[in-house]
Amino acid sequence: MTKRWNNIGRAAFAAALILSASYAEAAGILTIGRREDSTTFDPIKSAQNVDNWVFSNVFEVLVRVDKTGTKLEPGLAESWTVSDDGLTYTFKIRDAKFSDGSPITAEDAAFSLLRIRDHEGSLWSDSYKIVETAEAADPKTLVVKLKTPSAPFLSTLALPNVSVLSKKAVEAGEDAFAELPTASSGAFTVKEWRRGDRVILEKNPNFWQADRVKLDGVEWISVPDDNTRMLNVQAGQLDAAIFVPFSRVEELKKDPNLTVHIDTSTREDHLLINHEHGMLAKKEVRQALDMAIDKKAIVDTVTFGIGTVANSYIPKGSLYHHDANYQYPYDPEKAKAMLAEAGASDLTLNYIVNAGNEVDEQIAVQLQQQFAKAGVTVNLQKVDPSQSWDMLVAGDYDISVMYWTNDILDPDQKTTFVLGHDTNMNYMTRYNSDKVKQLVAAARLELDPAKREAMYVDIQKTAKDDVHWVDLYYSPYLNVSRKNIENFYQNPLGRFFLEDTVKN
Amino acid sequence: MSAGTVSSSPAGWRLRLSQRLPLVIGAGILLFFLLLAIGAPVVAPYDPILQNGATRLQPPSLLHPFGTDNFGRDLLSRVIWGTRIDLQIALIGVVFPFVIGTIVGTIAGFFGGIVDALFMRLIDIILAFPFLVLMLSIIAILGPGLSSFYIAMALVGWVSYARLIRAQILVLKNSDYAVAAVSLGFGRFRIMFRHLLPNAIAGSIVFAMSDAVLVLLSGAAVSYLGLGVQPPVAEWGVMVAEGQSFITTAWWITLFPGLSIVCLAFGFSMLGDALGELLGVHE
Repeated sequence: MTKRWNNIGRAAFAAALILSASYAEAAGILTIGRREDSTTFDPIKSAQNVDNWVFSNVFEVLVRVDKTGTKLEPGLAESWTVSDDGLTYTFKIRDAKFSDGSPITAEDAAFSLLRIRDHEGSLWSDSYKIVETAEAADPKTLVVKLKTPSAPFLSTLALPNVSVLSKKAVEAGEDAFAELPTASSGAFTVKEWRRGDRVILEKNPNFWQADRVKLDGVEWISVPDDNTRMLNVQAGQLDAAIFVPFSRVEELKKDPNLTVHIDTSTREDHLLINHEHGMLAKKEVRQALDMAIDKKAIVDTVTFGIGTVANSYIPKGSLYHHDANYQYPYDPEKAKAMLAEAGASDLTLNYIVNAGNEVDEQIAVQLQQQFAKAGVTVNLQKVDPSQSWDMLVAGDYDISVMYWTNDILDPDQKTTFVLGHDTNMNYMTRYNSDKVKQLVAAARLELDPAKREAMYVDIQKTAKDDVHWVDLYYSPYLNVSRKNIENFYQNPLGRFFLEDTVKN
Repeated sequence: MSAGTVSSSPAGWRLRLSQRLPLVIGAGILLFFLLLAIGAPVVAPYDPILQNGATRLQPPSLLHPFGTDNFGRDLLSRVIWGTRIDLQIALIGVVFPFVIGTIVGTIAGFFGGIVDALFMRLIDIILAFPFLVLMLSIIAILGPGLSSFYIAMALVGWVSYARLIRAQILVLKNSDYAVAAVSLGFGRFRIMFRHLLPNAIAGSIVFAMSDAVLVLLSGAAVSYLGLGVQPPVAEWGVMVAEGQSFITTAWWITLFPGLSIVCLAFGFSMLGDALGELLGVHE
């Protein structure tokens, strides 16, 4: 018995050796470890980063966001013109082919735009309801008519979810396409998808910038455990890994075989406040809570000094971020006095924490102690993440920490969701300001950038004064790669430029 | 066990040193932790929940013998205060199932028939579910927290005790002294709890010691999963969970609470073994 197990052990060891050897031999294939596997290849049916980041490897958009994440540049649309009333957009489609060799036409582009608007399975239809018609004037000209003028419209076309899909390939079978797209317009094609394990991509020879692509292929491999994923890169079993925990950055930086990438993101962590719950309806109470939080201490402890203290809901480096926005000073004594003045000196708050989320739990423990200094009692309630979202939507909470990453470079999307919207109760906060709501709607229609910026500054100031939520910190994307990998880069909207990545 | 060794005379005790050693070690460990728990406010050098940004993630030193965690809290103090919670878990988590199980088992064994059949089927149903899964679902329904854990423990844990006692009672109720008690006209409850139970309970007491180990570990596991003790209270399972993300950079956060769990569990099982020998119970 023992002997048999010994043999099995040896066999397993040998197999592991062979396996790790095959990792290393595959030159030109970039292996990237991430937390979870993709969920679909139908771009309209996902709103998750884990999918979007692969979509942008496989599908091309009409208008791209550049590497800095602040400007738009031509994608499949070579050029475009906008009518004077801001209602009609005319796109000239580039001479390009899908991976199956068929030409990319204006008809495919129109089909993709209308599909995300009308398809019952689309998670993004609200964002494209503004589109009145989208038609192919000729095979290379797409004409889009809007219902009202819209400043953010062009930037919404850069969303990976509205990528140009092959009409023929999608209509041949939507479900099959979602499993394994037969035609792709991006730098890579999907060769194989081993569900729950990895996505295997291969260079698309028909990509319109095919000469830009250096890699033969890419493998997105799911390695859920953070420590294991980092060890895999350190051992050379993976070329790169994303989602480096804050606590590991210093240590990985010291490894001479690795490069740690700290790329600017649009992630902002904030403390949601339920404005409908008792004393929290009072602006002074919310301001006191903001003052009771030592954001610098959170940045130091939770992000190991890698994050930066946030002062506006529009993240630093993003379009119209107001850098001079007010920041409440950390002053627990004054907070205590303000709470007493507002008649909320014995405030007790119910704090929903996502169980199992390391960062969330650390912030919670810290906030609990900070609030205690201002005389506020906080009861932590650890809840499974699947349940916590429903509780927030239902208003079953006083405070809770959440985060947001931008999908498009224009601030309109986030602003609408967190300040100017009724349907999602302003991102569960139940914040309600008519003044801000009107301003958000007006800013959407304002086509003059300077005037628009002034409006957004105004919105940021008002939101800060009202404490619609408490801005905590901004944090970058943290990725790691082996030294032989070059140009592994993620722009602030999360797009990986794998078409530029080189494996030496 | 031969007739000679049943003797409880002092001479007999002294002779069986090999038997006494586990007892001394087990009792010693438990006593140590008990004293630590009682004296926590005096013994612990720091406040277990006070965060200090200046002393984050320090390795063990003279100032902080167990090091500090990512909030700068002293781990030695947290381990000491954690003793209170973990001992409480082991005690309450055993006492309720023990009492419920003993009563149910005695009644089922003594009355037999339909009462016995009903209780035994109920036990079969509970045993059909994996222990932890059932625990976790009950806690999920009741909401996270220690009291939910105790309730879940009482609801699930009594079955083992009930089966143990029932088997003993089934044998003993046909013994001569039981028959004699019946023929003397004693009441059923007197026979059950005065005559039969004291003779049947030794096995359960020994089992309770090893059960304490299981309860302690489930308590730690449940807290590790975020369903037991809520932060910032110091509990060993929670501390292991908190240290997990730092395991490659700050091993001490997980090591010391982990060792404490092992030590306490070891103490309980030593005591269980020794009691088993002393009371003549063979598992």
